[in-house]
Amino acid sequence: MHAVESPATAPSAPAAPSTPDKPGARVPRRRRREWTPLYLALPALILLAALLAYPFGRMLVVSFQDMQLRHLFSGATPPWIGFDNYTQILTDGVFWSVVLRTAVFTVVSVAISIVLGLAVALLMGRVSNAVRVAMVITMMFVWAIPQLVSAQIFKWMVDADFGVLNYLIDKIPGVDFANHSWFADPKQGWIVITTLVVWAGIPFLAITLHAGLTQVPHELREAALVDGASAWQTLRNIVLPVLRPLLVIVTTLSVIWNFGLFTQVWALRDSKPEQEYQTLATYAFTQAFGRSEYSVGSAISVVTVLLMLGVMAFYIRQMFQIGDVD
Amino acid sequence: MSTPRSQRSRAGTVAANTVGVLFVVVMVFPVYWVLNTAFKPASEVLSFTPSFWPQNPTLDNFKSAIKAPFFLVDLRNGLIITSTAVVGAMVVGFLAALAIARFRFYGRRALIVVILGVQLVPLLALLIPLYLMLNQANLTNTLFGVSLTYIVLILPYTVWTLRGFIAAVPRELDEAALVDGCSRWQTFYRIILPLTGPGLVATSVYGFIQAWNEFIVINTLNNPETQNLMAWLLQNQTQRGTAWGPLMAGALITSLPVVVFFLLVQRNIAVGLTAGAVKG
Repeated sequence: MHAVESPATAPSAPAAPSTPDKPGARVPRRRRREWTPLYLALPALILLAALLAYPFGRMLVVSFQDMQLRHLFSGATPPWIGFDNYTQILTDGVFWSVVLRTAVFTVVSVAISIVLGLAVALLMGRVSNAVRVAMVITMMFVWAIPQLVSAQIFKWMVDADFGVLNYLIDKIPGVDFANHSWFADPKQGWIVITTLVVWAGIPFLAITLHAGLTQVPHELREAALVDGASAWQTLRNIVLPVLRPLLVIVTTLSVIWNFGLFTQVWALRDSKPEQEYQTLATYAFTQAFGRSEYSVGSAISVVTVLLMLGVMAFYIRQMFQIGDVD
Repeated sequence: MSTPRSQRSRAGTVAANTVGVLFVVVMVFPVYWVLNTAFKPASEVLSFTPSFWPQNPTLDNFKSAIKAPFFLVDLRNGLIITSTAVVGAMVVGFLAALAIARFRFYGRRALIVVILGVQLVPLLALLIPLYLMLNQANLTNTLFGVSLTYIVLILPYTVWTLRGFIAAVPRELDEAALVDGCSRWQTFYRIILPLTGPGLVATSVYGFIQAWNEFIVINTLNNPETQNLMAWLLQNQTQRGTAWGPLMAGALITSLPVVVFFLLVQRNIAVGLTAGAVKG
């Protein structure tokens, strides 16, 4: 019975589930010690402890050991070698080139994604309704496509022999792109990878930012126009400040996601990326499962998590500051 | 929604529309191209002058994808693993969400930080120890082992989103029910559960999508007999890199449930990540 009445309340939930209880309700009603919430949270805590905290501890331990394939089969405890794995990777030029590559990719891809995402969001506010609907529907489809699938579609489109991209570029007079291999030169390969990541990332950014833009008060924009502000000034001084919290959040998320780039490289490079295509995620994986260097792989993963920790802490602090969390 | 039309030049709108249409064309092209390829016979797929419409549309690619080794097994596995993970995460997650949304308790803030933080750690970073653990417990090559890791994959998001849905149910309703003589359990069962129904559906659908799309963990832990369709797609690609027609058809079949589900619940998906930032 209640379910029938629920739509009145429920549809509003997605729009603002964050809205804390009404101001008065924030004050805890009961102060006496309650065990119920702990019982409720217990199963989740157990699962998180068993399948996240424990593995993480295990990873730390393994990163200080020298674990090889034979230890995996015999179950023998691998020898403790202290910081040797860390010394090894931190003094390895290859590791640092991987870190640098991952960082550069993250900065470039996030910058392009955010700028384009914002541009598309602004564009959605300028076009007529029909075009906006077409844009939203298209982006929904792109957003829905699994990462692995979109990577394969791109792989097919840039195929050296039968790919449509080479065919189209070849049509340009004076350009010979027949049988052009996009991955022979890592620079071009990374352009393909970045394009794929940006293409797949735009829908989330544009749609979220467009939703944010609708929150910018009309009066402000109109007042700015009346006062003779240019479009650029309005954007800089009115729109962006209002949008700032949202921009910070989506930028942080994009940094975290793109820093962990794996799927696209993995699929485009046939599950065995060359040195020039390794990112921190693929590098750790290749070390562990390709070469059975579980300890070195673990050390790389630990360093990766440490590198991301700052950004993650920033994100969580941001969520608290916005007051969403309470 | 937007500034009054009178203040805008018609030329401006036309220009914006042109850019908008151009954007749509560029964005949609890969989607169009996979459809175009999937319905082409092999001779048209491997052609140096690709046609922009299948000349002789055929379902052969779909047939050969379905008949390919492990396709049906992996389809079944995927369904089992995904539903186990979703049901598990929903039950466990709902209880935890209830605790966060409805109670103030010692350690609540810490719990929120853990949930938010864990949501950001890629499961991939923990793949090595997970593999070692499950290997020790003889759970590699089983559907159960993967299901367990998938529960943890979707649990943080589940808790976080459900928390929002529960918080949106006015507390006064709980209290009214309690005053009317309902027990705690009855309040939960008669008030909160039905009112969060749509939220439960949306959250579990998103959990389904996440679990369905995962392939790295399952590809590392399991053999083809115990993998899912995404892993199948990856294997298929490496083994027969040039069979593009069946591959694109397989990709279409594999993404179909995800795309349909996603379109059904997309309104709710971004919420867990950016909620609160879009406040009126």
